[in-house]
Amino acid sequence: MLSLLEKNTPLRWLGKQLFNRDDPAAFFDPLLERINPLWVRQYVPALVESVVDETADTKTFVLRPADRWAGFEAGQHVSIGLDIGGVRYNRTFSLSSAPGQWAADGSVSLTIKRLSGGLVTNWMHDNVSTGSILGIGEAFGDFRVPETQEPVLYIAGGSGITPVLSQLQTLAASHYRAPVTLLYFVRTQADIIAAETLTALSQRWPALTLNIIATDEGEHPEHLSTTLLDRVPDVAARRCYLCGPKGLMDIAEELLVQRGIDQARIHSTFFAVPKAALDGDALGGAVHFSRSKIQVTSKGDAVLLDIAEAASLTPRHGCRMGVCHQCSCRKTSGTVVNRLTGKASGPGEDTIQLCISVPQGPVSVDI
Amino acid sequence: MKTLTHEQLNSLEQDLNAIRDEVRADLGDRDARYIRRIIRLHRTLAVGGRLMMPLGFIPPVFTAAVASLGLSKIIENMEIGHNVMHGQYDWMNDPALHSQTYEWDTVCTGDSWRRTHNYEHHTYTNVIGKDRDYGYALLRLNDDHKWRPAHSLQFINYILLTVFFQWGVGLHELEFDRIRRGEIRLSEKKQFLKEYARKGGRQGFKDYVFFPLLTLPVAPIVLAGNISANLIRNLWSSTVIFCGHFTEDAETFTEAECENESKGQWYLRQLTGSSNFTGSKFVHMLSGHLSHQIEHHVFPDLPAHRYPEIAPRVQAVCKKYGIHYNTGSFAGQYGTVLKRIAQYSLPDKLRLKLSPQTA
Repeated sequence: MLSLLEKNTPLRWLGKQLFNRDDPAAFFDPLLERINPLWVRQYVPALVESVVDETADTKTFVLRPADRWAGFEAGQHVSIGLDIGGVRYNRTFSLSSAPGQWAADGSVSLTIKRLSGGLVTNWMHDNVSTGSILGIGEAFGDFRVPETQEPVLYIAGGSGITPVLSQLQTLAASHYRAPVTLLYFVRTQADIIAAETLTALSQRWPALTLNIIATDEGEHPEHLSTTLLDRVPDVAARRCYLCGPKGLMDIAEELLVQRGIDQARIHSTFFAVPKAALDGDALGGAVHFSRSKIQVTSKGDAVLLDIAEAASLTPRHGCRMGVCHQCSCRKTSGTVVNRLTGKASGPGEDTIQLCISVPQGPVSVDI
Repeated sequence: MKTLTHEQLNSLEQDLNAIRDEVRADLGDRDARYIRRIIRLHRTLAVGGRLMMPLGFIPPVFTAAVASLGLSKIIENMEIGHNVMHGQYDWMNDPALHSQTYEWDTVCTGDSWRRTHNYEHHTYTNVIGKDRDYGYALLRLNDDHKWRPAHSLQFINYILLTVFFQWGVGLHELEFDRIRRGEIRLSEKKQFLKEYARKGGRQGFKDYVFFPLLTLPVAPIVLAGNISANLIRNLWSSTVIFCGHFTEDAETFTEAECENESKGQWYLRQLTGSSNFTGSKFVHMLSGHLSHQIEHHVFPDLPAHRYPEIAPRVQAVCKKYGIHYNTGSFAGQYGTVLKRIAQYSLPDKLRLKLSPQTA
């Protein structure tokens, strides 16, 4: 019923008048979440149905998003929102399940590895359990399965296997006949994510050739190389999908391009690893004012408000001393240091006060 | 005006910064739970009040409905809206609690409030000529303004302001006194007036048209109830706000005194220009913790429910530097506000004769 307040234009207008907000339906969230947390309207909630151990440091979280979630295509990502210590964090993860599973039983899977020093992934491993509620955004990303029957090569490393799992299951379900090869790089056999799923897939789906390479094992550790690619039949004719650590993806792309594969047939998807905090001297950096489409470079401890004004922008501001919050705005990426506290922000999306925020490396701000 | 040496001001700044940093470092689940609990209380009272109002032909139900809706408006304005717009909960990164986009349940638009209150009032607190909240250009509250015969009736102005407080606060940014003096032109305020009309229209439509019409057979009862709820909110919020800066001992400042002010001087001005009142936990909450106006002015962006916890430490800092920590009972503080309004409605000669201590 509340969805009417979102979709029906006159009712939405009325809701805005009555509740002074652009998302009038969310006015009732604090009451509804007590009755059923899946009735929340501010974001699309998803119920955690189960948590499965994949490896020592990787878990699969099976979620059931609220009915209004619009679904996804194999290989896409979602933004997951959750509150840690009162702070809402949003992080992007690939969906590791196939859209077919969502169509059949309404569930989707996230397969998440603990990142050393990562706040969100560690918290999820330690605290998210059956019955937890997470926010789930609409799916995005153009890492999509091939549209026609053609030979495919997947190169995945570590937890980069997650969007590939979704695609392989989707292709298998569609009885894809062209040859599909997966080169999956892991440190040791114990680090293989979804080993059972992969084995089962290769047994019931003859098109799939599975090659799991443990880089840190054996007398002669194996890495991605020309020899390895030589073993893939007719490699130059394949559509290629890469997902893994940056080092692996760079080498893979270089080797594939050397073999004359067109860039348009190489699809990459990244997953970012948080950088270690820089030391106090390393202030300043490239500042991107995304709404105004202006890029400038700052040096030293100049605050973003001064930097913006030097670039002829006139962001809303007030006291210029961190008191009035007139200049609060969204930082979409990058790290800033609070001039009052000396504390560095997180790398993701955040609300910051321009007048006391000093860039620490490249920063993107929505003004 | 209380003065401190340069060294004392620096050390005052450090002492207060230390309190702020400690609270900031400790912000977390407890604060998030607190504000969400308050928001849930607001929704319960608001929904409850609206549902009971049509049954207001039963007298006790009418009382309960008015109390419920009135309290919900007070809580939303004071403990939620005012504090969220100060950025007290920006750290939570919850779009619904974001200082720059929050819109509250009163006539004044969030944007206008952020300009006039967060910036002007909190930066230039009690600086005569700069802080337009000092007397709202409507009341003469100290002798920096020359007495005019019209001031003798200012108690009536005060009553009108407090009864129609939400409309007055909404119009604050019009700067009607400056227009009257020819300092600015009405045409400069066109955009402001447009936004005022839109938000005022929205608020009036909701309480005085939509909900009464929705329950047509009992429309007069619903209308009367909604007027009463708004009135209760107006009286309470204006009283709380007047107790924050217009009490007997709250100091005022001149523009010259505040030129090139250091952060330490700014802290000192906030400490001496604000006043607290005592009360129960519930009263503190209903005041949006502006009963701790001193703590609020020193740390406007710390979650307000923390003010009672840090008050003893702020009081100790005041004691250390010999700064008067202005607090008292609600009735006592409000009494001095009324006295001030009355005293300064008189010509200076008569005022000094009646109460020489106000010289």
